[in-house]
Amino acid sequence: MPSKTPHTNGNEPAENGINGTKDVEMKDDAPASLKGGRGKKSKEGEEEMTVVVPPSKSSKLSAPPRKDNDGDVAMDGPVEADGEDDGAVKIDPVAKAVSDIKSNFPLLDRAVALFDARFSLRALRSISSIRKRLAPDILAQVITETYPSTSPAAKSLLVALDRENATFSKPASTSEMEIDSESKASKTGKKDLKEIIPEVDIFLGILIQIYYLDNKINQKGAVFSAHLAERIHTLNRRTLDSLSARVYFYYSLFCEQMQPLPPSPSSPVVYLRPTLLSALRTAVLRKDVDTQSTIIVLLLRNYLSTSHITQADLLVTHTKFPDNASNNQVARYLYYLGRIRAIQLRYTESHQQLTAATRKAPSSPSAAGFSQSATKLKLVIELLMGDIPERATFRVASIERALEPYLQLVQAVRVGQLEEFESTLAQHGETFRRDGTYTLILRLRQNVIKTGIRMMSLSYSRISLRDICIRLKLSSEESAEYIVAKAIRDGVIEASLDRERGFMKSKEVGDVYATREPGEAFHERIRACLGLHDESVKAMRFPMNQHRLELKNAQEAREREREMAKEIQDGDLDEDDLGGEFEGM
Amino acid sequence: MSERDLQDVLRQLKSSTSYPDATKLLSTAKLTLLKLKALTPQPNTPAQILLLAREVFETGALTSIRAKDTESFTRYVHQLTPFYELPAERLPGTKSERSKVTGLYLLLLLTQGNYAGFHTELEGLEIRLGNNGELGDDKYLLYPIQLERWLMEGSYDLVWQSTTEEKVPCEEYGIFSEILTITIRNEIASCSETAYPSLPISSTKNLLFLESEGAVIQFAQSRGWLIRDGRIYFPNQNLKSGAEAGNEKELSQLAIENTLGYARELETIV
Repeated sequence: MPSKTPHTNGNEPAENGINGTKDVEMKDDAPASLKGGRGKKSKEGEEEMTVVVPPSKSSKLSAPPRKDNDGDVAMDGPVEADGEDDGAVKIDPVAKAVSDIKSNFPLLDRAVALFDARFSLRALRSISSIRKRLAPDILAQVITETYPSTSPAAKSLLVALDRENATFSKPASTSEMEIDSESKASKTGKKDLKEIIPEVDIFLGILIQIYYLDNKINQKGAVFSAHLAERIHTLNRRTLDSLSARVYFYYSLFCEQMQPLPPSPSSPVVYLRPTLLSALRTAVLRKDVDTQSTIIVLLLRNYLSTSHITQADLLVTHTKFPDNASNNQVARYLYYLGRIRAIQLRYTESHQQLTAATRKAPSSPSAAGFSQSATKLKLVIELLMGDIPERATFRVASIERALEPYLQLVQAVRVGQLEEFESTLAQHGETFRRDGTYTLILRLRQNVIKTGIRMMSLSYSRISLRDICIRLKLSSEESAEYIVAKAIRDGVIEASLDRERGFMKSKEVGDVYATREPGEAFHERIRACLGLHDESVKAMRFPMNQHRLELKNAQEAREREREMAKEIQDGDLDEDDLGGEFEGM
Repeated sequence: MSERDLQDVLRQLKSSTSYPDATKLLSTAKLTLLKLKALTPQPNTPAQILLLAREVFETGALTSIRAKDTESFTRYVHQLTPFYELPAERLPGTKSERSKVTGLYLLLLLTQGNYAGFHTELEGLEIRLGNNGELGDDKYLLYPIQLERWLMEGSYDLVWQSTTEEKVPCEEYGIFSEILTITIRNEIASCSETAYPSLPISSTKNLLFLESEGAVIQFAQSRGWLIRDGRIYFPNQNLKSGAEAGNEKELSQLAIENTLGYARELETIV
């Protein structure tokens, strides 16, 4: 069982685990095409990983954190040699991989013993470092070394790995072991299994899921996940909560990747919905925050992938997203929510949510896929709201290339050139469609026209409708007149029309600082700062029972103080006495 | 037995002209469907019955829209949705009035001013059709989409043209023309109120797509516009600027409230 060394090893990934979790989860959506740069101990396995998952992604329609595929394709070429890499990995650290996996078991043990979910989370985080080294043989070795040969759980795990015949290295005849396996058989009620707790079963199950996922054994993976979910349901242990969230996460990923792919109404994701919904109900009843938040996000993703926006909206209104969900889930939830609101033309809300989502998104490069698609959507929303996104947004290294079509779009909107807008749309239509922003961008047409009118109103004090019509390439002067009239009504420009002579006359632009605008912007910022303060106060975490320790310390300190005071008093008296004497002298 | 009944009812439905008759026939058809357990598609419903069920609902939808019964139309659309979501191998999409019904539904949402619903529906269409065909190729769907774009842009003359001329794709769509005309006229009126200092009556006729100057005067009166020396003046314009001045007090109150809020928050922090 785990020695000291792997233990410390296991802790290390937990340190950068903040990236770690994201890493695992986000990558499934958007297997990073990032060139190296991952802030972790990267081995040869690194590159291989990125190759294994991505290609099928581009076909998914509304899959959110999708990478810009140009990058992916470029990457695929040189690193084709999959098997070779595999080999290299295997020779190197089989033993290390095994011990790494095992090093998580004491963490799970501790999670159960102390009833603290943080330990299981730490175990889950280390997955990202194990992930690239997963192979059926390694897993089988772990299982055979951990379980007694009579254990049914081990059997089923081995069957899932196609390694039924693996020999168990632990002799099953030891009396201790027998007790163990017996209690295993009737494990539902028993809590204090000494050796192998169900958490370990499920943890290994998750590893197997990941192995399936990375090797695209989707059909089998889905079946296995269904069994796993079923088992978790019957086990009904609170310490399994964070693990079960992960199980459902991969379950849904398997379904997404099975033919026919999501936009089709007969995709397996549709059949997954009842399962997820019932799991959500159970999670809510059990106050299982992790599973609850994960499943809500999964369901939203599920609905949006087949563009069932109404259902997604209903789900949002009928469920309450747990307040203390993990940061990643909150970020995803906000992203999907922003998407729904954008479709419903509630741009202000959508913008708020997407801003929060991009800010909450992990900054590690492995989650770049998520922040890319969130940023893309946010840019489009900003344009729709009539704002022009900051130039700096497009200069961030990790997303610069992916945002290029959007940069062109922004430029077209900024100058109000309808022609340029149309050509950008035609040129990058495919990209926009893939990003799921196409319909939103179509709505931008009117913004382009409005900006065009605004530019003209600013530069000319008086311009004929005919000229407006020519500049904006509108079909007729009448259209131009109506459009300008609407722009005036909507407050886009300050101007008036003269119908008889057919021109638009701009009004003098007033001083912005005389209006309430700066005050409002100021207020907005102050509110954001105050909100940030409140949030950070709420987010602070204090260790359990620490206050008792502090009390004790305080008591000790007080005693010490009293002693000191006494001494001083004595001393003081002495001094006083002395002083008195001195004075007297 | 009931499958043949259903076909009979459908045949009668096609020939019936009056709405009350049709509703009666439709409710018998729906009862039969209920008996066949095909009111919503079940996993084991045979394709033949699915086809019939869809036809019943489509006829129902078109009948109710012809009778301007929008509520019942919406109901039929919702009932049709699960049928449309079935994969093609279970229920072939041929001979379906799908795009017509969907287009009508879009138009209905548009005339009701339910833009959120409109776009929600549209998003679904985009993804559904995105792979096998351009959305714009379908004249039934293109019509409401174009109308929406023009309405948002403000190209009211184009909207007007598409409702008056023979550009309406089929007779059911014509029902909405009247509503649309009223909608755009009100839109134009509210735009004119702010955009023009004054308007001569003669050209307002064209602006608002009205037939005669008499109608213009009537319309102007209904909106409370002033008519002097053959020109229309908009009293609301002055009102609006007056309202802004009245806001001054409110504004300072808001500023005070905000400042007090900051003070309170600061206190909690320090």
